[in-house]
Amino acid sequence: MTKKAIMTAALAAAMLGSTIGAATVSAEDYSDVNIEIISKGFQHQYWQAVLLGANNKAAELGCTINFVGPNSESDIADQVQMLDSAINASPSAIGLAALDTEACLDSIGKAQAAGIPIIGFDSGVPGAPEGAIWANAATDNYAAGELAAEKTYEAIKDRIPTDGTVVRIGILAQDATGESVVNRGLGFIDKMAEFLKADGHSVKLEGNDKYVNDATCETSDDADVIIETLVPSAVTSELSAIDCQTLLNKDDIIAIYGSNQHSGEAMVTGNENLMKFGQDEGQIIGVAFDSGAVIKAAVADGTFIGAVTQAPVSIGEHVVELACKAAHGEDVADVDTGCQWYTAENMEDPEIAPNLYD
Amino acid sequence: MGDNNKKGNAFTNNPIVRAIGVQKIVVVLVIIILALFFSAMSPAFRKYPTLVSLFDYSYYISFMAIGVTFCLITGGNDLSIGTGMICYSLFGGYLITKMHVPVAVGMAATILFGMAIGVINGFLVAVLDIPPFIATLGTMMVTRGLGSIVTGGMSISWPPANAANGWFRSIFKIKGDGKMLPVGFLLVLFLVIVMSIFLNKSRPGRYIIAIGSNKEATRLSGIKVVKYQMLAYIISGFFAGLAGIAYGATFQSIAPGTGAGLELDAIAGAIIGGTSMTGGVGTISGTLLGVFVMSLLKTGLPFIGLQANWQQIITGLVLIVAIFIDVLKNKRAERR
Amino acid sequence: MGDVILTMKGIDKSFPGVHALDHVDLEVRKGEVHALMGENGAGKSTLMKVLTGIYKKDAGTIIFEGKEVEFANPREAQSHGIVIVHQELNMLNHLTVAQNIFIGRESMSGKLINDAKMNEEAKKLFKQLNIDIDPTEKMGNLTVGKQQMCEIAKAISHEAKVIIFDEPSAALTEAEIEELFKIIRDLRKKQLGIVYISHRMDEIKVITDRVTVMRDGGYVGTLITEECTKDDIISMMVGRVIYEDPKTESAVPKDAPVVLKVENLCAGKMVRNVSFELRKGEILGFSGLMGAGRTETARALFGADPKDSGKIYINGKEVDIKSPRDAVAHGIGYLSEDRKRYGIVVGKSVSENTTMASLLEFMKGLFINKKKESSTTKEYVELLKTKTPSVDQLVVNLSGGNQQKVVIAKWLVKNCDILIFDEPTRGIDVGAKSEIYHLMNELAAEGKSIIMISSEMTEILRMSDRIIVMCEGRKTGEIDISEATQERIMHAATLRD
Repeated sequence: MTKKAIMTAALAAAMLGSTIGAATVSAEDYSDVNIEIISKGFQHQYWQAVLLGANNKAAELGCTINFVGPNSESDIADQVQMLDSAINASPSAIGLAALDTEACLDSIGKAQAAGIPIIGFDSGVPGAPEGAIWANAATDNYAAGELAAEKTYEAIKDRIPTDGTVVRIGILAQDATGESVVNRGLGFIDKMAEFLKADGHSVKLEGNDKYVNDATCETSDDADVIIETLVPSAVTSELSAIDCQTLLNKDDIIAIYGSNQHSGEAMVTGNENLMKFGQDEGQIIGVAFDSGAVIKAAVADGTFIGAVTQAPVSIGEHVVELACKAAHGEDVADVDTGCQWYTAENMEDPEIAPNLYD
Repeated sequence: MGDNNKKGNAFTNNPIVRAIGVQKIVVVLVIIILALFFSAMSPAFRKYPTLVSLFDYSYYISFMAIGVTFCLITGGNDLSIGTGMICYSLFGGYLITKMHVPVAVGMAATILFGMAIGVINGFLVAVLDIPPFIATLGTMMVTRGLGSIVTGGMSISWPPANAANGWFRSIFKIKGDGKMLPVGFLLVLFLVIVMSIFLNKSRPGRYIIAIGSNKEATRLSGIKVVKYQMLAYIISGFFAGLAGIAYGATFQSIAPGTGAGLELDAIAGAIIGGTSMTGGVGTISGTLLGVFVMSLLKTGLPFIGLQANWQQIITGLVLIVAIFIDVLKNKRAERR
Repeated sequence: MGDVILTMKGIDKSFPGVHALDHVDLEVRKGEVHALMGENGAGKSTLMKVLTGIYKKDAGTIIFEGKEVEFANPREAQSHGIVIVHQELNMLNHLTVAQNIFIGRESMSGKLINDAKMNEEAKKLFKQLNIDIDPTEKMGNLTVGKQQMCEIAKAISHEAKVIIFDEPSAALTEAEIEELFKIIRDLRKKQLGIVYISHRMDEIKVITDRVTVMRDGGYVGTLITEECTKDDIISMMVGRVIYEDPKTESAVPKDAPVVLKVENLCAGKMVRNVSFELRKGEILGFSGLMGAGRTETARALFGADPKDSGKIYINGKEVDIKSPRDAVAHGIGYLSEDRKRYGIVVGKSVSENTTMASLLEFMKGLFINKKKESSTTKEYVELLKTKTPSVDQLVVNLSGGNQQKVVIAKWLVKNCDILIFDEPTRGIDVGAKSEIYHLMNELAAEGKSIIMISSEMTEILRMSDRIIVMCEGRKTGEIDISEATQERIMHAATLRD
């Protein structure tokens, strides 16, 4: 019931709002298509924006969609069940943002056997068997991480001493298992190291083993820049906020990057008493990811220099469009739905604002 | 037999030590040692903002722990407080930010919701005789789902401090001119004193202890055990609601579907503070001390550069030691 | 002795299948200590439960202070001045002595409890009773004896007129009993009526004024303690019951080898220096009153409870039994008195129960060989004449006697040579009883050795080749069946040191 309520609300919003970023307007009639879309839930407002895009596109193409998701991003079993019931409803196509590909494999096989095309979205269905996923409408998270690195580097470039004094860049990551979060971290680390090297610095990685081991950049033990990634033992606001404080309290810290909405909000909580983030001399550069009221406010008031946003509206639109095409047997290919850098100055710009959600 | 039950050494027989309780003194020492240790290892830990943060993050656990102590003393448990707290906080926050009710009303609703779930828990345990572990495990799942339904699965933020209706945050922390006062601690202290008096000096409190000590004997003494057992769960619900407000005031956003596991921090705090899992024994002040051990470990360990997994291991070991002390005490009592 | 304060006349009470009280009379006067005696199951506790309103009587009258009464519950009896001091003390160990005494009627000052005042009142109460207990001490820190004093003080504080002591001395030390008696005499002086339930013959002589004896739910008679001997009381307790074909002499050959020898077994308070021998093919009866330590002895022997000291020899070789597993490995099987808790798994089938203790022999690789399991079970079902529609029947659906047979089969499959039957016929109807007896005799004839713990005199005299009598954890008698009489057994069962 509630789900319906959200959808109606979102639909209403869609009618009023403009449809931005709609790629190709197809002449084909998709009114016979019904799509089951299984998201990761509605916990973060990000998903509301995805839903908005999906509804927009569905209205435009005339297809019907059923957009569902589990209670939280740790309810893997619930999501598998949703996928199963979706398959049982024999839809024309399925959109899937898998919490855990491994857990979904059986169901994916069933869908394949039933000839139902699956379109991955958001982080997609990484590691799915060859041919099971027809196409993905996803953010290239690695590239998004690189974008964050580029903007961070612009801000800290002149603050890195040339006399070999060691400085530190921190990364707050929600976990070391989710493909999208990990790639945003790795993209950041690798790109940052590349910039640093070009300017004659060297890099050492510390913190969570997954990030230290999987980064492909060159490192050296007596480096003058340390990149430290912290991952909490459980995804709670408190533990992530404490991690943020730990980083803020280090004497050599110059910047912190939080790689999703959870981490970004934890940065705001962690900064609450320390008040160290800012753009002035001596303050620490904060860079976040995604939006939501808290992070938007922090960007707007200059606490963070900016944040990377994905294009959730566009993701929603593309998953519906790809699914419609796949249902009609048309050729489909992966779509990078892109990402954008937003700051206090450009937040209101028409090409950015729709992708920022509360 | 005779007087051998009064055996002990000079320390445990000291009247002051006996009045405060050995375990509490040990816990205070542990807190002092931990605080000194972290301060010595990390200069940042010694700073004032760290202390403020330590307080910030201790409020919601303190409230949950105070409440659940009553359930533990009856020999029961309340596992629903963690997800419950999140559920109540989502509910209150939703009323305030989406339905635009006054903050005070939203806060009252948060607490009332907690008490309502407490009534249900109490009914399941005291009237229907469902084992507390199972009954509250059930409501734990229920509140987890309810939180999502209330907000339509969306996370909620309570009004920020600078908003017109953000005044409630100054219940917990007064901020201004770059100065901060963690006044929430005064509220916690006040409630610890009030609830201690309630537990030890009021009839309902006395009967709650009696039920945990020997339910049948209490019933035979003509005391309405159902009523007082229920009361323990309602108190737990009340404090889970209060914890929901503290949580909303401390953290930026509250995500539905979370909260499972937070109850264990509170229960662990109560047990470290000397509350017995088998009922009949427990003090509110001990619980507060126990919560501080947990909070110190949670905040302090990252400061000395320990990776997240080590924090959990150390916290777990502390808990096992605390429960082991409880088991030893019970065994000694049994032998008499 | 003063006026009559309490009269129970013609009290009758039946439970389904049992006539628990058959027109029982009891009269208690002010300032007397009145003993209530009888064997296990004679109906003493039932009578007291009727008096205090736990059970509703079927017939008869209770007159208290000249008025006919019928209490709805113990609390109502208490408010009229009739209080029981239970054997199992109902203490709130985590509260103080004073808090216990005044639970439910605390002194208040405003909304808060006035503990200081309660301590003061408790102190006065103890002074009145000449008891030295600190009212602020936690109840759990007191010895059982002191706890009982508190219970008495609590009774007094309720302005009790009649106090019933239910086996008060069972858990007390010598010195504590002395103190208890001092208090009881004191209460007698204060013109209270006291009912004293006990098995201890010598205590009865010391403390009581009159004795009422019950047997099998019936009233036997009331004697003035001073005018009777211990033997008078015993003969009233045992009566003249006709026993179904008691064994007259042992069926065990004189030269039968000793299969089990227990030397100076000690385990806690209930097993003190117990020694005995068990011969091949013998049924050794263990007799004694409730709480004599028979089951505890068996459990210590079986390794179910830890033992403090003592040696066990099986077939002449000393063995070390630390757990039931060890005992089973040495061929000892234990049929618990509480079948449902310890003997069988009621939710499982006959065959699963039968092979439970020896499952390893029924394994074929990783799996249970169902065929072998059911054929073996069938064999034993036939052998023991277990009435079950099939070996796959769930045990819960069998009668008590047949359940017992399944447990026996379990130990026979395990090839146990020594079987301990703890109350083998409890809760089993008469027909099934004689079948179990028959089976035990057959097992003994085949060379199995049996220890049979029983509280039923009939059973002991009918089945045993030899009888060990226990009292308070000690062996107080060993009687060959040819010389056994109920009087001798009862005499030994009430021998205290």
